[in-house]
Amino acid sequence: MTGSGRADARRRAPPTTIAAGLRAAFGEARRGLRNRRRRALLTAAGIALATAMLSAAVVIADGLGLGFGRSAHAADLPDLIIRFDDQQLSAVSKRLRSLPDVAAYSTRLELTNVGIGAAGPGHRRNDAVAEVLVSGHRGGYAVVAGRNLRPTGNEVLVEEAFAHAWGLRPGSTLYVRGLGPERVVGLVQAPDNVGFPLAKPRFYVSGPALERRFGGRLPPRVDYAEVWLRDPRYLNETLVQARLSSFGLRDLRFATRSGIHVLLDQAAGIVIDLLVALSLIALATAGAMLAASAHAEVQRRLRTIGVQRAIGASAGFVVLGQALEAAMVALPAAAVGCAAGTLATYGPSGRLLTLLNEPAPGWALALPLLGSWLVAVTMAVAGAAWPAWRAAARPAVSLLRGADVSRRAHRRLPRLRLRVPTGLVTLGARLVLARRARLIATATTLGLSVGFVLLLLALASELSTLQTDPSALGERYQLTASLAPSEAAAVRRIPGVAAAAPRYEVQGVDVSSLGETIDTIAYPGDLTRFESPPLVAGHRPHGADEAEIGQGLAQALGLYPGQTLAIQLGTGTELRVRIAGVVSSLDHDGHVAYVPAAALLSADRSAPSTIAIILDPGADVARVSAAVDRLGVAPATASGATSNSAALVSVLRAIVRAIAIVDGLVCLYALVQACALTVQERRVTIAVLRACGAGGAAVARLLIGAVLALVIPAAIAGVLLQRWLLGPTLSNLATNYATLPLRAGAGEIALAVAGLLVAGGIAVAWVTYQAQREPVLAGLGS
Amino acid sequence: MDPVLRADGLVKTVGSGRARRRLLDGVSLTVAADEIVAVLGRSGSGKSTLLNLLGGLDRPDAGQITLAGERMTGRGARALARVRLKHVGFVFQQFQLIEECTGLENVLLPTRLPGAPRGGTRRAARLIAELGIEQVADHLPHELSGGEQQRFALARALVNDPELVLADEPTGSLDSDNGAAVLELLRGLGGRATVIVTHEPDAAAVADRVLHLVDGRLAAAPAALTP
Repeated sequence: MTGSGRADARRRAPPTTIAAGLRAAFGEARRGLRNRRRRALLTAAGIALATAMLSAAVVIADGLGLGFGRSAHAADLPDLIIRFDDQQLSAVSKRLRSLPDVAAYSTRLELTNVGIGAAGPGHRRNDAVAEVLVSGHRGGYAVVAGRNLRPTGNEVLVEEAFAHAWGLRPGSTLYVRGLGPERVVGLVQAPDNVGFPLAKPRFYVSGPALERRFGGRLPPRVDYAEVWLRDPRYLNETLVQARLSSFGLRDLRFATRSGIHVLLDQAAGIVIDLLVALSLIALATAGAMLAASAHAEVQRRLRTIGVQRAIGASAGFVVLGQALEAAMVALPAAAVGCAAGTLATYGPSGRLLTLLNEPAPGWALALPLLGSWLVAVTMAVAGAAWPAWRAAARPAVSLLRGADVSRRAHRRLPRLRLRVPTGLVTLGARLVLARRARLIATATTLGLSVGFVLLLLALASELSTLQTDPSALGERYQLTASLAPSEAAAVRRIPGVAAAAPRYEVQGVDVSSLGETIDTIAYPGDLTRFESPPLVAGHRPHGADEAEIGQGLAQALGLYPGQTLAIQLGTGTELRVRIAGVVSSLDHDGHVAYVPAAALLSADRSAPSTIAIILDPGADVARVSAAVDRLGVAPATASGATSNSAALVSVLRAIVRAIAIVDGLVCLYALVQACALTVQERRVTIAVLRACGAGGAAVARLLIGAVLALVIPAAIAGVLLQRWLLGPTLSNLATNYATLPLRAGAGEIALAVAGLLVAGGIAVAWVTYQAQREPVLAGLGS
Repeated sequence: MDPVLRADGLVKTVGSGRARRRLLDGVSLTVAADEIVAVLGRSGSGKSTLLNLLGGLDRPDAGQITLAGERMTGRGARALARVRLKHVGFVFQQFQLIEECTGLENVLLPTRLPGAPRGGTRRAARLIAELGIEQVADHLPHELSGGEQQRFALARALVNDPELVLADEPTGSLDSDNGAAVLELLRGLGGRATVIVTHEPDAAAVADRVLHLVDGRLAAAPAALTP
């Protein structure tokens, strides 16, 4: 040891009291930080990234996992919701009162296709849902802004998601056809329904207020009942009794609070699982890297630790110094990461929750975020203290000799007798291969990260396709026009139009359960010319009574090819078709049936229709649109996802993008740390090379080899993982009514590998620059 | 004949404040081709510092160094690395062989550096043969004896055919037999300027000239130490 080293050790002489010990250890930690600023910066980056990933997962998982519970609690969601064809209030009340264990009930009349308008461009719709609160004091919704309805005056409550979309707030005016201008007095969330635009705009009016305004003209009829039980454990008994006493009620449907929760959990569970897995990967990466970095640092300081121990410092003092140094880096870094992760995901997840009619978590997130911050700090401190403890526990004499901390001798790789080129790139790879455990850990974490990034890219690409490409939904037409079927021939004559046909679409319900609504679609002639969603089972329809149904409907009703589907249309007539095939369709959650036009028109002559228009390849859309416009109606462009789901798709893409960015940064950190560790551990090797005349280019080549040794297996593992495990698994789980091909394509793989290589390039450049700044003599130990 | 190495008035100070110490205080040295110069001195006298300055691993506070006609002082790190690659070979006390590479691969490493002179593989094979370590050329360093390791380190120092070989305590980690053998090899390098710094008087026996570093200045060694 040099003279200055002894002086340094004397300065770090063991303290005699606990307070003095803490002071000394704190001073030691501060000195360590000052001396190792670059390393501290890298460590801080790793901790910040891991915490960002963890807190992002916490924000989204908390919102999706607990949002319904919070919302249901705030809204006082009933234990049982019953829908039925409208009945006299007195008859319904009598049946409800006869049910066992009922604590309270409320009734409503749900009016659909209500015309509404508000100030603002395009703020006019004819498909709103008006909830007329007829009786009962409990509402099943939470007022999140403004106040609740009073039984007098022209007042409405508006669903929050819809209010946001139209810029409505308490005090705004909503024009309701038949009622006139109504004052918006509050915004509400009702978790039993998703919000606008996933569902139709919804507002609430007071039944008694309407009765006062319009006298007895409105009959006290209801079609919706909410039931609160004294003890929700007896829900099944109440349900049985409700079914028994429902004789005479048509279109009866039950929904339970727990059932709604389960439905939402199925969708949210996938996202939560994905995020938890990603954050664990980030944590594992950061943990492994921090521990390896701390180990390398302790290895470098073995002699100093030996001197400290030799002059009487306890092992605890040595460990405390190391732990305090790590804590001084981890505390602010984890806080920064926590804030970054929260900021990156709080907005998109808040928008998603609003769409789901659930509240943003707000301060409820504080505790879980504090937990993630603590986890990250603990991991960093433990990772730093553990190698120091192992070192300090060794005899001082062996530390003074600079013996390795590891008690086991390093096992060496089996000798390869192959003639491997002895270039610098190969040497770099061999330096990394020599640390097999770390190689496996780093390549695994990188591989998992690549797999998840690929999955997210595939998901984003799929969402993008669904949003913008009509053919992704099986739609082959580009324009639609609200013209009479007889105009189809005129449209066909327009230059640039390849085909045009009436597209009939009516809502029906399944006769057997009267619960499932079915979007019934029909074209005269060949359906697949205009819409061809992928066939999942069976065959394309041939006969006049054959139909295709969506996978969502098939699963909901347990239908399969060969069976008969009976649909009750709005006219009251029944349409019976034989199921030829099951198709994958995202439209209406797959609750669709493609039936022959003749069959549909024989059941409902007035079925509404539009003209679906297929353009010639390269046709001028504007010119065709103008020509169609001259027939009387401006055509609309067919979009990928329906406008209802476009908002959800957009939010999901934002979340996916935020997570992919954080995951990519984790990859970058892992590579930088792996390179930095290689340089740190092999500083003598690099110093020898530099003494032999190696410049920056040579060191860079060495590190390129090290990076390639990590990146190549990681990329292969990531691609295999995504294509054979993650993609198919998520594809199966994500939607049970449509097939999403989530296998990453060549473009996504190329993008992910390019990203990995860019991250590797950045790591090489940065670490080479840092390595070149160290004097050669420092590496040689002179 | 022009000297391979010329150092004039080298000054080097280390430490700061009260610990500040002038290790070299106007050292001048000239080494001709085919000449072995041994620099003796006590531990901490500045021998290794002098060697590092001569090899371009460190920069003097004052003074000038010219190696193979190229001025080394005042040049950037990249230029110094190029000079080391072409003109200097280092032999370290701890051999500093890379543990993942065989003896042969260690010798070949400097030839793989960007800008290294051509013909490295051929020279490596010849050197290994000359130094008598062909039988163990594919052994890893931990499978070699100290003497064998130092021979590989010597071959690595010579593989780019440098004009100057700088050896820092080349026998410091060897037993006396192996130490003597390595000194003999250094003696037999032929055609190269060699500077050996050591505190072992035996090492001086192979030198053409022995200098003593005392109080930061070089002085001719007592007659008993000169060959």
